[in-house]
Amino acid sequence: MPQTISLSHLTKIEGHATLTLEVDAGKVKQCHLSSIEGSRYFEGILKGRYYYEASELSSRICGICSCAHTLGAIHAVENAFGVVPSKQTMQLRKLLAIGERIRSHATHLYFLALPDYLGHESVFSMLPKYKPQVKSALRMMKAGNEIIRTVGGRDLHPVSAAIGGFLKFPPAEKMAYLQEQLKGIAPDVEATARLFGGLKNPDFEAPADSFSLYNGVDYPMFSSNLKSETRMFSPDDYASYIAEYHEPYSTANFVVKEGKTYFVGALARINNNFRFLSPKARAIAKDTGVLFPDYNPYVNNFAQALELVHYADEAAGICRQLKSIKPEPIVEFTPYESRGISATEVPRGILWHEYVITAEGKIDFANIVTPTAQNLRKMEEDIRAILPSLLVGDDKTLVMQIEKLIRSYDPCFSCSTHFLKVKWVGKKRKQSPKRGSLRSLDKRERAAVDKVLGRSQ
Amino acid sequence: MTEQTQVHAAPAGPVFWPKPTDTNPKLRVGFFGLTGCAGCQLSVLFNEDEILRLVEIIDVTAFPFVRERNIERDFDFLFVEGLVASRNDLETLQKLRERTKVLVALGACAHTGCVPAYRNFTLKENYEHLLYVKDRGIEDINPSPVDDYVKIDHTIPGCPPDKREILSFITDIVGGNKPKTFNNPVCIECRRNNNACLLESGKPCLGPVTRGGCNAVCVNGGFECWGCRGLTDDANVPAMVKLLEEKGYSKEFIRDRMRMFAGLKMPAEVEIIFRAANNKP
Repeated sequence: MPQTISLSHLTKIEGHATLTLEVDAGKVKQCHLSSIEGSRYFEGILKGRYYYEASELSSRICGICSCAHTLGAIHAVENAFGVVPSKQTMQLRKLLAIGERIRSHATHLYFLALPDYLGHESVFSMLPKYKPQVKSALRMMKAGNEIIRTVGGRDLHPVSAAIGGFLKFPPAEKMAYLQEQLKGIAPDVEATARLFGGLKNPDFEAPADSFSLYNGVDYPMFSSNLKSETRMFSPDDYASYIAEYHEPYSTANFVVKEGKTYFVGALARINNNFRFLSPKARAIAKDTGVLFPDYNPYVNNFAQALELVHYADEAAGICRQLKSIKPEPIVEFTPYESRGISATEVPRGILWHEYVITAEGKIDFANIVTPTAQNLRKMEEDIRAILPSLLVGDDKTLVMQIEKLIRSYDPCFSCSTHFLKVKWVGKKRKQSPKRGSLRSLDKRERAAVDKVLGRSQ
Repeated sequence: MTEQTQVHAAPAGPVFWPKPTDTNPKLRVGFFGLTGCAGCQLSVLFNEDEILRLVEIIDVTAFPFVRERNIERDFDFLFVEGLVASRNDLETLQKLRERTKVLVALGACAHTGCVPAYRNFTLKENYEHLLYVKDRGIEDINPSPVDDYVKIDHTIPGCPPDKREILSFITDIVGGNKPKTFNNPVCIECRRNNNACLLESGKPCLGPVTRGGCNAVCVNGGFECWGCRGLTDDANVPAMVKLLEEKGYSKEFIRDRMRMFAGLKMPAEVEIIFRAANNKP
């Protein structure tokens, strides 16, 4: 008899999601990972607004990665108008993004992921036994927040970053202060990496294309080309290789690259860019014996921890360079009818922002593809793949391992929801490839999707 | 004052605010999110130096964002983040309202509907192409603030809410005190911080009509106020509109800017001012 396992309202993730599994005679009949977050239709809200409002509005998509959306929107608009920001601006932006990366990873690793590994229900129940570790997490979150506040003006939804520069500049002595803070968390980030490198993960491999930015010079953050296992891609024609589709059971869309499943995030970044990690991060990886590329999705936690080590180093370096920080005027530009795209690395993977802007400076079309949407299909496939091995054990272990798997992707259902391009029921949306809007799956790709998901038309 | 202004004004407290007692020394507190960005719940956690002490002085019985085991009943205080945008949200909200003595709207989405509720003012054709048929439970309902459906006992406004305000709210209720609400405009704090006035430099800053308590954080960072905390009780909106018009902004621009974060909480007379503008957004 088919057995249905339903994990309604998964906890310890950003946003709301439900997992429904139908298992019959040891075979997975159905696996639905559904975002049940309400739809906000940000792209519809952005349409008709001015280009300079895009960063402030799209920042509200997500709290934990609000800097990412702010910077993603700014970079896309700059791309549209050919604005080239100064070196100092780019350094400040990178610092802002790193602050967010440290905060986001520390929050995810300790508050959402680690309790699973230690057999605790939450970080609060860990306190009696693991207070030093929790305090260490809070120190890292605080350092991240201090960086964001100093550069961006506020912990969440930063205000100081603007198209063409910054509205406000931290005083030079603040940079020395931040450098001190970063020095202070150096033992914390290292301990985190060693802790997560030592955790026992299920023996599980789920190969797919690691997709990330790649510039061949350093560990990438902002617009550059993209790399997968097979070849390089340019962000400008992303609509030619990325397609979105959606399911009635979820308010988040699913994304495929060239018709196939792929994944983004810390693990994908390190798989493609390991040699650009800081020497300390690489040394810790070597000590723990994890070899990259690695295709165990649970290792994404360790990859995030390694990024903490790398970014604490890199941020300290930027603070050192910014000790002679000076207020600069915003780069001047004249808006015109144009289209701009940005691809940025954010805590959970690649974030795409695209805007088509009219001669009056109004947004005529907006498209935002978030990392979690890109990972959703991989998550469903991984659950299908690991499930048979878990069916022999008890239900409690099964549920725990699956939840752990989902959390290791650090999904953000606030972000991934409501970015839907195609109307599945009824007519297809008019396509306008000139604008680079994401195309929907064609018949062949849809059939491939259905085959993978075990559905008949 | 119209009824709508009343809704916007700082809400009156409930008849009974729970206090810690000898038999029940710890207040039972929950944190929940409807549709939103999780930023308000993060603002609770981002009190990095105080959070460990906070969870000792109150009993956080439910916080699904960070807890696996949640006891979803008998709350003294319940913080709710996010707006109502789906059938699920509404059912959750109504269930939660019945299970708490005090319901606190945490942040702008719960308070005003914030940016997602701006959809109420956009043309349907702007987002029509994004719609699709969804299963029961996740189908859309009009994006609305929480008090469209249930009674709210207190509001911590802002997008994001000031994390210190959350902290002081909790220490207040633990001490048996009723938390303060702010009614001064942002300009008061802004002046105290010696910021250069952005209105004077021609920016469309909504500080004069916006409820303070945020320490003018946006203007401190060089950015004009967009009014995320809603209007003050005695906001002089006609004067604000006139001032911005003198600076060269169209009625349409001013209207849209004021609607962006707190549109659904604008008093009726404010909308009348904007009738002059082309009424189609």
